[in-house]
Amino acid sequence: MANFYKTLNQTDDIVNTRTLLHEAIPLTGTIVSGTYGTNNIKDYSHGMFQSVYDYPFLSSSANHIFDITVGYSSDSGLSASANTQNSKKINIYNQMAQVLMGYDATGSILKFDEDGDLLAGGSKQTENFFMNFSRILVKDEIKKGSFEFELGVSGTFDSSKGVFAKRLKITDASGSDGYLVNSPVGEYGILYATASLGPFVLAERHAYPVGLLFYQAGVAVISGSVFNAANKGGILNNSPGSMQMQAVGGNVGFQFVTGSNISTISNAIRTRIQNIQFNNTVELNSTVYFCRVNHNEFNYSSNPTYLNGSKIRVKTKATDLPVSYITTIGLYSDNNELMAVSKLSEPLKKTPDNEFTIRVRLDY
Amino acid sequence: MGFLDNSGDIILDAVLTDHGRKVLSKGDGSFRITKFALGDEEINYSLYNANNSQGSAYYDLEILQTPVLEAFTNNASSMKTKLISIANTNILYLPILKLNQNLIDTKQHTSGAFLVAVDRTTEGTDASQASQAVGYNSTNQVQGVMFGESYEDSNYIRIDQGLDTTEVGPKQRSTISDMIESTYIIQIDNRLGFIVDKNGNRVASDYIDDDNIAFYTVDSSDNVVVDNLDDTNSQTQTISGPRGTTLEFKIGASLDLNTSTFLFTKLGGTSNMVNKALQGQQVRYIDTIVRATGMTTGYSIDIPIRFIKTIVS
Repeated sequence: MANFYKTLNQTDDIVNTRTLLHEAIPLTGTIVSGTYGTNNIKDYSHGMFQSVYDYPFLSSSANHIFDITVGYSSDSGLSASANTQNSKKINIYNQMAQVLMGYDATGSILKFDEDGDLLAGGSKQTENFFMNFSRILVKDEIKKGSFEFELGVSGTFDSSKGVFAKRLKITDASGSDGYLVNSPVGEYGILYATASLGPFVLAERHAYPVGLLFYQAGVAVISGSVFNAANKGGILNNSPGSMQMQAVGGNVGFQFVTGSNISTISNAIRTRIQNIQFNNTVELNSTVYFCRVNHNEFNYSSNPTYLNGSKIRVKTKATDLPVSYITTIGLYSDNNELMAVSKLSEPLKKTPDNEFTIRVRLDY
Repeated sequence: MGFLDNSGDIILDAVLTDHGRKVLSKGDGSFRITKFALGDEEINYSLYNANNSQGSAYYDLEILQTPVLEAFTNNASSMKTKLISIANTNILYLPILKLNQNLIDTKQHTSGAFLVAVDRTTEGTDASQASQAVGYNSTNQVQGVMFGESYEDSNYIRIDQGLDTTEVGPKQRSTISDMIESTYIIQIDNRLGFIVDKNGNRVASDYIDDDNIAFYTVDSSDNVVVDNLDDTNSQTQTISGPRGTTLEFKIGASLDLNTSTFLFTKLGGTSNMVNKALQGQQVRYIDTIVRATGMTTGYSIDIPIRFIKTIVS
């Protein structure tokens, strides 16, 4: 009996697979501050955060790449009712904490924990800035162990050059082999800061835990301590004149947040970004259909050009072997509905002398 | 030492068709792939040159160089021609589908298509508007015009299947016994019409895809597939060799075409025909095709159809 459909064995011919694809995402400081001036920086009238685009945001070609905002806990030493946007900064902290850290048994919002060990208590990070990366960059998640964030921590900011004599590098160094799962938004790792350029950058020569990186949420929560000297509760060396957040002014670290609105402090942080890079992850779920074409199958064609009248063109006598050429594979439902199509790059010759297993992969 | 041939296992990425996406989006588990077919629609087998003097390696050189198009996601546009599995490799002839116009009732209209009159005014079965009908020529039914509302005509489409060759006689039906089509799939634009049997009984469709193409799987139980047991050289036959089955059906007009001119305005045009009073008659028309595919051999045939609607003056 002639036929042109071949039934797939649901056990042996169909298999589901999962593949993780990674892309490198480099964000150079010049895109964040410099290349397009402030045309790719969007501030909002509500003043709660600042958005960074990869191109002037009025262009339809622009892609949103991340947001910056700052916040502190109401019981932070920086919190004071006289502060500029005090309640908004507290609201930001609480919003990010409730989403990323969740609640304790009493329903109180958990603060960001320095080492992620919530049961042990330990140091809390109550003054933070937040980098919320766009879904277009993060895709399904940030690849663990791939995050690097280099930050200038000396002198005044300079949006035209973005060059700093002292820099530190923040990485999720432990991410590839150790991460935490006690967050309501998935896995997160501890961010550690080390000196990357210049003398006397850090107070001590070791890696300081300075924040948390939420891999699936695509949010980096970084402590304000990266901008503070050790004598002000930070991690930087106490050497004089090491850190100024303002364009002009004295030796002020993250305390700058008290007298500035969120947009201004976001500018100060943004222009200190030397480089950000990470690998994203796309989780690809595939179904592979093994289309087994045996030697005695699919050797004839219903192509109108296959026949001249009713005679097969590729044969001159009955005993010649039939020949056909495969260019397309169609996947069908029980009801003969064409669900998916796959194409070969060139015609594949099929005769009774050969057989193939064509693996057709359908990604979701 | 040479490398081993590793061409036996090929990995390809598939794309969902638009209909596949529609079914998947239902989320009811109806998206289930259970079988596959192979297609060769880019291939022109007339390029196969078995007389090439340079040897058999050159017979299909041009075919193997055929560039292959990317996949179409329109389900009705892909896999139009399929490869067939037949156990016997000593076959020199394959059955085809051929429009039979040898009967007075199965001839196409002189315009080169089958016409479907979408309402009684156009048919001529509405006595009050009879003079403007184009279904009748004076007192006679016009050749190739099917009455899409009343079905009160004898015209129909007939497709014959079999070996169209004089090398094998029509009495050798047993030679194609495993290639006789008992089931066909008919595709028609569901916005325009539907399939009915010769008596005007509507045939149920399997499904209508996202592009409004209705798919009908028909067999003898639908009264549209009939064994063709005529093994004579009758003038009414169009297949010269052994015959399989005939597919016989009519086309009904959709309610949209029957009651409105919207689709005619959007998809069609106007033309001049001769009416029952033998005078010029303006009609609206839409041209389309109906595709019939044999479920055994995969051979298909496209039939041109024109839906017409009289412009009542």
